[in-house]
Amino acid sequence: MNKTLTATTLAIALGAALTTVSVGTYAASHGGAAKGEPMAMEKEHCYGVALKGKNDCKAGAGTSCAGTSKMDHQSNAWSAVPKGSCEKTASKTSPTGFGQLMEFKAKMAG
Amino acid sequence: MSAHQIFSDALLTDGAACPPGLTTWNQSDPERRFAVYRNNVIVSLIDALADSFPVTQELVGEEFFRAMARVFARAHPPRTPVLACYGELFPGFIEAFPPAASLAYLADVARLEMLRVQAFHAADAEALGVDRIAALLADETQLGECRFSLQPSLGMLRSGYAVASLWAAHQAQDCAAALGEVDPLTAETALVLRVGLEVEIFRISTGAACFIDQLLQGLAFGPAAEQGLAADAEFDLASTLGLLIQGGALCAVTTHRSTTS
Repeated sequence: MNKTLTATTLAIALGAALTTVSVGTYAASHGGAAKGEPMAMEKEHCYGVALKGKNDCKAGAGTSCAGTSKMDHQSNAWSAVPKGSCEKTASKTSPTGFGQLMEFKAKMAG
Repeated sequence: MSAHQIFSDALLTDGAACPPGLTTWNQSDPERRFAVYRNNVIVSLIDALADSFPVTQELVGEEFFRAMARVFARAHPPRTPVLACYGELFPGFIEAFPPAASLAYLADVARLEMLRVQAFHAADAEALGVDRIAALLADETQLGECRFSLQPSLGMLRSGYAVASLWAAHQAQDCAAALGEVDPLTAETALVLRVGLEVEIFRISTGAACFIDQLLQGLAFGPAAEQGLAADAEFDLASTLGLLIQGGALCAVTTHRSTTS
């Protein structure tokens, strides 16, 4: 299949795209994830803004004992029933109808 | 084995002996101090992964996630001191991790979250102004030959699962209700793009994904649009361009005569 688009077709598409942009609305087809913010609302850059805790100085002042108060879960965590949202997420293949992580438990037993 | 290697191995192995020759300034037990340090190292790596992969964590729960992240961090410690981008190998690890095998979509959700982190830290590029794009319409005959450069933050993920919808459901106020609307087995392609300071995720069609892929590979506008249409008869070029322009994804254009950026 090798369709050739004419220059006019491309121009019409680009023209239509520009029209939607100037109006500042996204087609609803882009779903809930689209925020539809007009380009004019560009935010000023601020390098102090970062993902929470994303820096390379976790070993900075005062953190030397942070870890000790929070001993992490050990390997027996696997045998626990997951409390995550996968249990609420539909799964056609699961007997419960929802996701589950019991497979590992079976493996650990065997 | 070098002293450095012995030290780092001991750091990443639970219950390993304290490296020889360690002393403390206050006569406390080096073995105990080293154990504190070892715990801090692993906890901070797990925390970094939890920060970068919040939806992955919500899907399996904190306990499972942290146990999985611990296994990963031991096997794949960071290669640079910058933790912000740590976890590039985590999605692939999840995919091959037997305990998570029953959640087939988990690895792709992690891939999407990694793309978000990468988009967040990607270089800035000035978006092509709407007037510049409009000016291309002046010479229709050359339009198909234009080559667009896209934002460094732009990333795409083609998944056999509803990754974008699953991710979006976890941003909702009522996550459980939102999840009820999602069939995880619906294939989706997600476009990740930083718009200003916000990283946004868009669900895009197969045709749009193909079109954008071709642009990324340097194909000219006309042929890229044809590829999009060949991949997907329903491909809507205008709305895809609208999305790219609106999101400021186009940052330079090369025509036969000139380069505008």
